[in-house]
This record gives sequence, C-alpha cells and structure tokens, in this order.
Amino acid sequence: MNQRRTVPEWAGRAVACFVGAIVLALMVGPQQGSKNDYGLTFREQVLNPRIIAFLVVGALVFLAITYQDIVRRYASRPGVRPLIVGVLVLLASYFLMRWYDPLGNNGKFAGFADAVGRTGGIAPLAKVFFGWLWWVSLLVLIVGVFVAIARKLRWLGWASAGFAVVVGVIALLAHAAASGAGGGIDHSFGAPTAFIGYLVIAGAGVLAARSNAETAATREFVERVMAFRPGLPLVAMGLVLGLLALLIATWFAPQRNNATLVDTSKLFSGSDASALTTAYLGWLGYVLFVVVLVLGAAAVATGQRMLGYVATAAALIASLVTVITLHDISTTAFRAGAGAGPWRDLGTGGWLLSIAMFSIGSGGFIAARRAPVRGRSVMVGGATSPKAGRLHEMGASTTTISIALFGLGLALFYPPTATGFWQQALVTDIGVYVLLAIGLNVVIGWAGLLDLGYIAFYAIGSYTTAYLTGSLPVKPPSWLMMSPLWAIPFAIAVCLLAGVLLGAPTLRLRGDYLAIVTLGFGEIIRIIAVNNPGNFTNGPRGVASAVPHPVINLGFFRIEWGGNQLQYWYLLLVLVALLVFLFYRLENSRLGRAWAAVREDEVAAQATGVNTTRVKLLAFAIGASTSGLAGVFFASDIGYFNPQNFILNNSILIVAFVVFGGMGSLTGAIAGAAALTWLPDFLRDQVPSEDRVMWIGAVLVIMMIFRPEGLIPARRRKAELSGLAGHDTSVDQDLRAVPAGEGV
Amino acid sequence: LTDFLNYLMLGLTRGSMYALIALGYTLVYGVLQLINFAHSEVFMSGAFGSFLVVHAMVGDGKDVSGAEQVLVVLVGLAVGALSGAVVAYALERVAYRPLRRRGAPKLAFLISAIGASFFLSQLFGKLFNRLGNNQFPDYLNKNATLFTVFGAQVKLLQVVIIVAAVLLMIFLDRLVSGTKLGRGIRATAEDAPTAALMGVDIDRTISRTFMIGGALAGAAGFLFGSAFVFTNTMGFIPGIKAFAAAVLGGIGNIRGAMIGGLLLGVAENLIPTAPWVGGHAWIGQEWTDVVAFVILILILVFRPTGILGERLGRAA
Repeated sequence: MNQRRTVPEWAGRAVACFVGAIVLALMVGPQQGSKNDYGLTFREQVLNPRIIAFLVVGALVFLAITYQDIVRRYASRPGVRPLIVGVLVLLASYFLMRWYDPLGNNGKFAGFADAVGRTGGIAPLAKVFFGWLWWVSLLVLIVGVFVAIARKLRWLGWASAGFAVVVGVIALLAHAAASGAGGGIDHSFGAPTAFIGYLVIAGAGVLAARSNAETAATREFVERVMAFRPGLPLVAMGLVLGLLALLIATWFAPQRNNATLVDTSKLFSGSDASALTTAYLGWLGYVLFVVVLVLGAAAVATGQRMLGYVATAAALIASLVTVITLHDISTTAFRAGAGAGPWRDLGTGGWLLSIAMFSIGSGGFIAARRAPVRGRSVMVGGATSPKAGRLHEMGASTTTISIALFGLGLALFYPPTATGFWQQALVTDIGVYVLLAIGLNVVIGWAGLLDLGYIAFYAIGSYTTAYLTGSLPVKPPSWLMMSPLWAIPFAIAVCLLAGVLLGAPTLRLRGDYLAIVTLGFGEIIRIIAVNNPGNFTNGPRGVASAVPHPVINLGFFRIEWGGNQLQYWYLLLVLVALLVFLFYRLENSRLGRAWAAVREDEVAAQATGVNTTRVKLLAFAIGASTSGLAGVFFASDIGYFNPQNFILNNSILIVAFVVFGGMGSLTGAIAGAAALTWLPDFLRDQVPSEDRVMWIGAVLVIMMIFRPEGLIPARRRKAELSGLAGHDTSVDQDLRAVPAGEGV
Repeated sequence: LTDFLNYLMLGLTRGSMYALIALGYTLVYGVLQLINFAHSEVFMSGAFGSFLVVHAMVGDGKDVSGAEQVLVVLVGLAVGALSGAVVAYALERVAYRPLRRRGAPKLAFLISAIGASFFLSQLFGKLFNRLGNNQFPDYLNKNATLFTVFGAQVKLLQVVIIVAAVLLMIFLDRLVSGTKLGRGIRATAEDAPTAALMGVDIDRTISRTFMIGGALAGAAGFLFGSAFVFTNTMGFIPGIKAFAAAVLGGIGNIRGAMIGGLLLGVAENLIPTAPWVGGHAWIGQEWTDVVAFVILILILVFRPTGILGERLGRAA
C-alpha cells in the first residue's frame, strides 16, 4: 500500500480532548432547546464564558495524557490519592450536599452561607468560615499538600495536616453555631462530610511528611492487625458512630428544636413515657452501648467464638431496644401534642446508635466466623484448620462481608427516621430495582446472557397481580380473587412460564441475537399492554382500580400493609434477604458452576457434558420469576400503574445497575442498584431528571472502557472481563494479535 | 387494490430506509462480528444534522422552487451522511476501539454500545428540547402526488426516497466490490489476521467501515425526517427493524440487507392491514411493530442465516 500522510498523534489527542470538553459542556447544564430556535442550546452551553472552564479541563486531560510518564511518577507518590479523594469529598460537600435542611433546596452551602452572611449575631468564627475560609482553606490545602508531596517538604506536610484538622473542626463548629442560631430540624450531612474531607486531606499531608519507609512500616502494621483481627474495622467504625450519636447527634426534634440524648432525657423526664424509654434516655442507652462495645472489642481481640456470638446477640437486642425506644419517644410526644406522629421528628441520633451497635455486633460475628474451631488445632506452618477458611473458600472476602453487614445495618435502622420523601424513594425507586437487579444478575452475571427485555417479566408479574386481585377490567372468577400475597406464587409461575416460552426457542442463539430477541420481546409485551387486546390491560390508562395492599390475617395476628412505606420496606428487606440467601447458595452449587462454564466457553462446556440449553433456560427462568416477584411487590405497593412503567429504558437501567455494581457479584448488584437509584434522587436539584439516562449511558461506556468488572467485582468475572485470560476465541481476540498500525 | 397499493408504496418507502440502515449493521457485523447497537442513534443524528442545515436553507419551507428542491435533497443527503459518518467514527473510537485493543468479550461490547446509544439519544434530546414532533420544513410538499395507479396516489416524496435509497445502495455495492477500500473491507471480513499480514490496516478499515455504514444511516435519517416526524428517540424502532432486515437477508451480506429491508418494510405494512378492503383490518395497524418483532424472532429461531446466507466476503 502507498505511504500515507500521518497526522501527529498529539494533534488527534488534542482534538479529542477538546471535543470531549465541548460535549461535557453540552451535557452539563439546564435544558435549553426550543422549537423556535434550534441553536439556542448550543449557544447557551458552548458560546458562553463557562466553556473556558471545560476547555481548561480538556487541556489538562490532554497534558496529563501527553506527559503521562511524569504525571504517573508523581501520582504514584504516597499521599496523592488521599489528596484527590479528600478534595472530591470536600467539593461534593460544598456543592452537592445540604448544609441546613430548613432552607429547602437552598440549604446547600452557597444558600446557607448567604443566609449566614446576612444574619447578625452569629459567632464570628462561623461568619469567617462561611465567608471566605471555606474556599481559601481548600486552595491552600491543595497547593500545600501537593508541594509537600512534590518537593518532599516534611514541615509543609505536617503543617498542612494540622491546618486541615483545624479547618475541619472549624467547619463543624461553624455549622453548629450557624444552624443553632437558625433553629429547626437539621438532618444535613454537609458539615460532617466536609469534616471527613478535611481529615482525609490531613492524612494526605501526614503521608507526604513521612518517608516511604515509615509509611510502609505503618501500613504493614495496620495490615497485620487487620489480618489477625477480622471485624476490627467494623468495631472501630461502630465506636466512632456511637460516640457521635451519644454526644452530638440530634435524637428528637419536636417543634424545630434539636435535642441531643441528654436534652431528650430532660424533655421526657416527667412525661407518661414507658419506664423503658425513661431508663433508656437516662442511663440504659449508654450502658447498652458500652456493653456491646466491650463485648465486641473483646470478641475481636481474643477471637473467641462464643464471645463473638454473644456480642452479636447483644448488639441485636440493643439495637432492637433502641428502635422500640425511638417509637415510644415519637408516639409519647405525639400524644402529648408535641410531635407529628409515630416515627416522625426523630433525629439522626437513634439510627446512628443502632447502626453503630449493629456494626460492632457484626464485627463480633465476623470474628466468631473466622475463629478456629476449638478442638481442632491450628496446623503447622500457619495454615489454619479447614473450617476456619471456609468463608474465604466460598468466594467472599472479609471486606465484602463487612460491607454487606454494614449495608444491612443501614437498611435495617436508617429508614424509620428518614423523611417521607426518602421512605417513598427507598421502596419504589431503590428497593424494587434492587430486587430486579438481583434477578438480572443471575441472567447476565452468572449465565452470561444479555437480556434486554427483562422488564417484560416485571410487567407480566404486575399485570398478573392486577388480574388476580380484580383490578383489571376483566375480572377473574370469584374463587380466584385473592390478596396480593397469595398472588406471588401465581405471578412467579406465570413469569416462569413466559421465561421458558421465550427462552426455549431462542436460547440456542448467539449472545447478540439473544439480546435483540429479548429486546423485541420486551417491546411486544409493552405494545400488547398499550394496545389492550380484549380490554384486558385497560390500555395506556393503566389498571382500572388500585391494586389492594397485602394483608396477613391469621385471626389473632393481623398485618395490613399500606399504612406507611416502612411496612413495605421491611417486607422488601425480607424478600431480598431470602433471595440473596438462595442465590448465594446457588452460585456455588453444581448449577452455578455450570453457568460459569457456559459463560466462559459454551462449546467446551457442552463437550464436558453440560446440557447448555437446559442450564441457560434455568438461569432465564430464575431471572424471570424474580422479576415477577418484584412485579407483585411493585403492583401492590404503588396501586396504579400503566405501560409507561415498562418501557425499554427501564430494562437498560437494570442492566446498567448490574454492570455498574459488578457482573456476577450479588453484593455488587445490590450496591449498584442502590447507588444508581439513590444518586438521581440525591442530585435531583442538580441534574434534570430527563438527563438521568444520558448520564447512565455515559457511565456504562466509561465503565466498560476502564473498569468492566464493576464496583464490587466478582473475582472470577474480573479475570474474564478484563480480557487478559485469553480464552476468548472470537475475532476481536484475533485482531488483538495484530498490533495497531503494523498492518501497513 | 387501492389500499393495497398505498400500503405497498408505504412499505417500500419504509423498507428502503430500513435497507439503508441495515447496511450499516451488516457492514460492521461483517468486519467485527458484532452488532452495533448504537447504529440507530447514528441514523437519528443524521436526521438532526441534516435538519439544521435544511432549516437554515429554506426556513419554513414555503414557496421552494424546483431547482431549490433538488438542491435541498442533495445537500440534505450529503449533510445527513456527513453527520452520520462523524458520529459513527466517534462511536468506534470511543465505545469500540478501547475494548477491541483489550480483546474484551462480546458482552462488554454490547453493553458499551448500549450505553453509547442511550447517551447519544439523550444528548440529542437535550440539545433539541426532547420535542415529540420535530418536522422538517415542508420543502417538497408532502402531499404532492406524482401519478395515480388504480386510484392509489404515488407521492413525489415516496418516489424521491426510494430512488435516493436505491442509488445509495448501488453506490455502496460498487464501493465494496470495486475499490481498494472495499477489497480491504471484504478481506477483513473474511479473515482479519491474514488480511493484516497482506497489508490491510485493520484499524483504519474498521473505522472506515463504521463511517460508510454511518453515512448510509445518516442519509436514511434525512429521508426519514423528510417523510415523518422525528424525535431524539426515533432511532430505536427503525433501528431494531433494520437489524431484523439485516438478519432477514442474512447478516454480513450486503445484498441480503437490501432485499431484507425492502421485504420487511412491505411485510410489516401489508400484513397488519390485510385484507386491504372495507377499511376493516384483521390485525390492525397498531400492531405493525409487533408484526416486525415477531418476524424477527421467527427468522432468528428458524433461519438465523437469513435468505441469502451470511458472509460479507463472498456475496458482495
């Protein structure tokens, strides 16, 4: 071939960086386009002074890539990573998080700082911090720590670290002073987050100040402690959270008064609260915390099995007592005319303490699980007894279990004191999608089948429930009318059937064909729901009458859901826990191994005697029935729904959750769904809701390029997805055999 | 018969657009053995790109002279093709090449392409206010009838679309079978490592293939926009149908994609409206999309190699 003119590599890179910057500028910012002026968006977003900021970002990226050798040399120095993390945390707290709840959407830092500036009579320290110290300190710290790292200036490192701690404390104090002056309930996390950010930067400063050998020695020491004492991080975190809860946090906030535990105790000293509550507020709360802490610490320190389980039990009881007390506080106050009702007006303190104790108990639990079984001696050479390593063998590291247990604590104890908006969001946005993500994880993560019509089964489950409870225009025969709980097996069965009917003919297809077929199936189901054949689905208007709430009625024992979202939340938690347990067992079963084999190399799996079609069909059916279960739950919770709930976007969203969290990892799927559904609600006044899908799309691409294994990867999947294992026989692998540009 | 002919013309119009889009799927499939999920967004960007230019040229589209009409069609096709090619190029660079370098498994490509597809469609939505009913200026007078056969009115626009599509397809056929680039594409499709050894720059060929496919889809976007309303999510349904068309004709097979597109367009418009008399259809037009999807599923299940069979290297 003839010789081509070659464009210098840096030129292409520069163009790419600047185009990327412009696209980013287009992505960020409010909706602008208009029917009369099609160039409006472009002018507003790009021909605007703020484009300079984006171009600077592009230029920085360009420089970073061009001089990546130098950048990398500095970036690998100790302290750089904490510095970046700390700065990001600080930026998030200053620009995204709320600093003061009663101000509404302007409770962000800027709005709050304005209000503080205008109000007289606030401590001068707060005025200084909200006036200029916040950004000056940030700049000074970035420059200071970075110079300390780059030039190896020990004194500067120590100085920066000290300064960071001081500013962090000032931030907390200033927030307390300012919000105390304002009064009102304040659940905001801005100031504590900023404090954490400053602490992280202080850590970066310390790292910069110490020599590599010293740092390595410390790290080694920490690692040794962690290895010997599993569960220690959880106990430590519990200690910190518990102290926060007992000393600073708001426990009860009637009539916009923030009362700490001591204040609450005074409030209730003469009231008709139960003896337990009075005792708890007076002394029992502290005693419980100390007991749990001592037990947990002892269990972790000694590694004794029994002690660990005792600590776990004690923590569970203590947390339960806390929750009961919280309920009693709010109802007593309600009866006395001070509160807004059960579970209302509660501050962060109660659930913080519950989570703290739960977390300590989890530490004890982990310690107990890791402890060697008595009577079976530790083997020579440091190898522990077979039983001791069991958790590890089963593919779950202590870290993953710690995260999972802490998440469980959060899920158990946070919702009761959350605001109504968040309770609603937890159930309908987060909870349902977590359930769906767990199901889809079986299909995509374990069996490796890309199902883009997953939402169809969810729709089928929802409509089945609506039919069986008589909410559709077509009524079931009277003997078939039932409450939503009874509909669960039917919905699961129908979805299972649908999954098998779709899967049986199509699962022999190649992966990408399967994706298209499932996508088409999803659309067919949605169009059927819209077109309303036989007046079954009631068309685009949605179900005819509300799907009833589930009821359990055993005569002496009656629960009726629907009073508030909390009931649904705990039902959901039970369902998720059940599924996680089942799927966890499944992953390591014969079937789970067969899935792994099919996923990695279908031909080889077949050759070794795996019935691939049957195995894939099972994955499909299990995924479909999980989705059906979610459908039942969704239908009875929300009451009214229509085909718009089952559009393709939602299928893709679930795929995104699974991929983001880590394909094939249960913890990952849950974390991914929770994080990606929580973020839009959290950022709802930053990012227009219509842009949500756009960002999710960008996240998917970026994840696939830089971290295909997801946030919390499954170990096995990680090796497969990074493409290093070399067992992929498709053409892309062949192409890789030809180095770029060698074909000229 | 009048209704039959009307639906036939509608089917041919839509089918020719499906064929143009399907060519992009087929070309990319040929060289990479991957389905480019984001191809439908390339089609969409063609519509928006050409719309901006056409809008600037004729404004609201009142009183456009004959010469101007021809000019608008040509420029619109060119601009649509250009924006399609640019988007497809960017797509390949961002969403595909990094994965290809790493030798990632197919699932990773699919997910990355889906992400890119949603990103593009929503980005355009953001730019153009997510209007549900964008329309091109009526530069060609959508209702102008060219001639009448058995009472069926053959519209000028339909003829323009079909003719333009057929010309583009012939052009592509020549390009792939007659030029050096086409030879490179066919060689890559047949055996990439060997082609590389024979002096074909694989990266460049793949990138060019994306651009050619993108240009055709972008031109189809312009044609689609001229005839129907267009939105930022318009790519999805035609995209999946074009994929069905590509499979129907045999994916990886260029002529198959053309035939498949026309067949699918005709089938999805004729089947739901049968028996074409008396104004009462057996299935009903609201099921058009379902018919197309069912055809897709049936082909995939019963004859996944399509009518003309797979292979880009041979059939072109």
